[in-house]
Amino acid sequence: MSVAEVLEKPAAEVPAAKPEKRKILLSVEHVSLSFGGVKAIQDISFDIEKGEIRAIIGPNGAGKTSMLNVINGFYHPQQGKITFEGKNRDKMRPYIAASQGIARTFQNVALFKGMTTLDNIMSGRTLKMRSSFFWHLFHAGAARSEELKNREFVEHIIDFLEIEHIRKTPVGRLAYGLQKRVELGRALAMEPELLLLDEPMAGMNLEEKEDMSRFILDVRQEFGTTIALIEHDMGVVMDLSDRVVVLDYGKKIADGVPEEVQKNQDVIDAYLGVPH
Amino acid sequence: MFYRETGQFKTSYAEDMALFPVIQDRIGIGVILIVAFVAIPLLANDFFIASIMIPFLIFALATVGLNILTGYCGQLSLGTGAFMGVGAYACYKLTTIFPEVNIIVMVLLSGFFAAGIGVVFGLPSLRIKGFYLAVATLAAQFFLEWCFIRIRWLYNYNDSGAIETVDHTAFGLVLAGPSAEPLTRYFIVLVIVIAMTWVASNLLRGRFGRQWMMIRDMDIAAELIGVRPLQAKLLAFAVSSFYCGVAGAMMVFFWLGAAEPAAFNINLSFQILFMVILGGLGSIAGCFMGAAFIWILPLIIRTAPLLFGVEISAALVEHIAFMVTGALIIFILIVEPHGLARIWQIIRQKLRVWPFPY
Ligand SMILES: Nc1ncnc2c1ncn2[C@@H]1O[C@H](COP(=O)(O)OP(=O)(O)OP(=O)(O)O)[C@@H](O)[C@H]1O
Ligand SMILES: [Mg+2]
Repeated sequence: MSVAEVLEKPAAEVPAAKPEKRKILLSVEHVSLSFGGVKAIQDISFDIEKGEIRAIIGPNGAGKTSMLNVINGFYHPQQGKITFEGKNRDKMRPYIAASQGIARTFQNVALFKGMTTLDNIMSGRTLKMRSSFFWHLFHAGAARSEELKNREFVEHIIDFLEIEHIRKTPVGRLAYGLQKRVELGRALAMEPELLLLDEPMAGMNLEEKEDMSRFILDVRQEFGTTIALIEHDMGVVMDLSDRVVVLDYGKKIADGVPEEVQKNQDVIDAYLGVPH
Repeated sequence: MFYRETGQFKTSYAEDMALFPVIQDRIGIGVILIVAFVAIPLLANDFFIASIMIPFLIFALATVGLNILTGYCGQLSLGTGAFMGVGAYACYKLTTIFPEVNIIVMVLLSGFFAAGIGVVFGLPSLRIKGFYLAVATLAAQFFLEWCFIRIRWLYNYNDSGAIETVDHTAFGLVLAGPSAEPLTRYFIVLVIVIAMTWVASNLLRGRFGRQWMMIRDMDIAAELIGVRPLQAKLLAFAVSSFYCGVAGAMMVFFWLGAAEPAAFNINLSFQILFMVILGGLGSIAGCFMGAAFIWILPLIIRTAPLLFGVEISAALVEHIAFMVTGALIIFILIVEPHGLARIWQIIRQKLRVWPFPY
C-alpha cells in the first residue's frame, strides 16, 4: 500500500500554510442537535476542505453518525448553520442534499436487499436520469439510450471495485464485506462532490480493510471526491486522513492533523487510551 | 433440449438488458405464444375459452397490477377489488355516454379513471406503512363499494342495481356483449393482456421500476439517494390501479357481461392478493402462475369427482378450494416466500447444471 506516500504530502502541507489556497467545501458552525433530553451534538463547528479526507472519530455514542445525518439533511439541527459550496442551507430534504452532491454509506449497510449488485449501483444514478415515462413504457428511445449510457458508467465502477463476479447476485446473499463494497459503489455512482462514509470498515478482516483503504484513496485520486470518514480503527484513520475531528459526548474535543490529534491529552483520555 | 447459458456470450449491455437474455427462455415464450394464439383457438371448446382462459387472463392482468404495487413497490393494498370496480363502472358510464366509440378504446380509457382514484387512495401511503396502509386501502375498498351501491347514476338508475353490457360492434364484428363470440373476446383479452404485460416489464426494468424497488427494500436509503417518495409511490398506485381498472372493465365487458357491486367486493381483493403471493411477489411470470393456480384449482376440484361418477355440491367444492388455497398460501409463505416463480427458478437452476450438479 502506498498509504505512506499519500500521507506525506498533506501532513507536510497542513500547518497553517497557504490558507487562501484552500477551498472550504462544507462548513458546520455551532450546530446543536438533541433528541428529547439526549444532546447528541453540542455546539460543534468544523469544516471540510475540497479534496481532503476528513476523519471524524470518537467513542461510541459520541455523535458521529448524528453529525453525518445532519450534513445530509436527514436530521435538522435545532441550532447552527451549515454551508455547502458557499451556499447556506436551511432545512432540506435528503434528496435535495443528494442532488447537490452529497452521498453517503451507512454504519449498518443500507442496501436494497432484493436487488442485484448491478441494480443497487444503478440506483445511485437515479438523479442522473431524466428520460420520460412515455419512453419507458416501451423501453425505447431516450429511455433505452439513457439506461445504456448509465449502465456503462456503472460497469466502470464495478470494474473499479473489483466486483464483476457478483454483478447479478441479489445483495442480500452477499458476505458483509462485499455488501460494504457495493454500498460504496452505489454512493460513487452518484458522482458526489462530498462522500460521507460511516464506518466503511466495521466488521472487516485485515485484508478487506486494506482493500477498502485502497479504494478510498483511489476514489479521491481518480474522481477527486472529498471524503468524510468515520472510523474506529485508529491505524486506518492515521493512514488515510488529512485532518481529524474528535467528538466526545456530543462535543468537539480536538481538530487537526492526525499526528497532532494523536498527542492531544483530551483525546488520549477520552478515546485513545481507553480500549473499548 | 438442454437449458444452458454456456456459450451464449453477451457482446453488449443492450443484449444483457433484454427481457429474455437466455435463448431457451425466448423459445419458451415463443411456444407459449403459439399455444395461446394458435393451439387454444383451434383445439379448445367454447367453455374452456369463455370460462377458463378469459377469466384467467383477466385475473393475471389484475395480478400484474397488484404485484407492481405490492411486490415491486412494497405497498400492501386490499383495495384491488374496488379499483377493478372503478374500471368497470367507468367503462359502463363511458359506453353509455359515448356509445359510438370502440369498446376496446373505452376499456383502456377506463384504466385512467381507476388510476386517478388509486392515486387519491394512495396518498396515505406517504405517512403510513405496512399493516396500517392495508387498513387504509381497506377503507377505500368499503367506501368505493358503498359508492357502487348508493350512487345510482353509476348504474344508470336501473332497478337491478347491476351493470349490463349491450352488444358493441366494430369492424362488422361483435366485440363485446351477449352475442359476442367467445373466441373474439378471447383474442381481444389476450392481446390487451400481452401488450400490457410487456409494458409492465419495460417499466420495471427501467428507472421507474428501480425506484419502486428501492422504496420497497429501504425507503430511507432511497430518499437519501434522490428518490422522491411522494412521486414514486403515487406513480406505483397510478400504474397499479390502471392495470386493475382495465382488468375490471374487461371482467364485465369481455367475460361476465354483467356485474353487481358485490362482484368487486373484498373477496376479489383477497383473491388477487393470493394470486400475487402464490405466484411470487415481485415476479411478472409469477402473476400468470398464481392466477392459473388459483383460478383453475377449483375447476379441477369440481370436475375430478365427476370423472369418478361422484357428485359433490358447488358449495362443498368452494369450501374445499378455499381450504386447499389457504393451506397452499401458508405453505408458500413458510417454505418459499417468493412463490411459484421462485420454485420454477430453482428447477431451472437445477436444469442448468443437470446432469452433473457438482
Ligand atoms: N434517532 C435517535 N433518537 C434518539 N436518540 C438518538 C438517535 N440517534 C442517535 N441518538 C443518540 O445520540 C447519541 C449519539 O449517537 P450517534 O449514533 O451519533 O453516535 P456515534 O458516534 O455514531 O456512535 P457509534 O460509534 O456507536 O456509531 C447517542 O446517545 C444516541 O443514543
Ligand atoms: Mg455511528
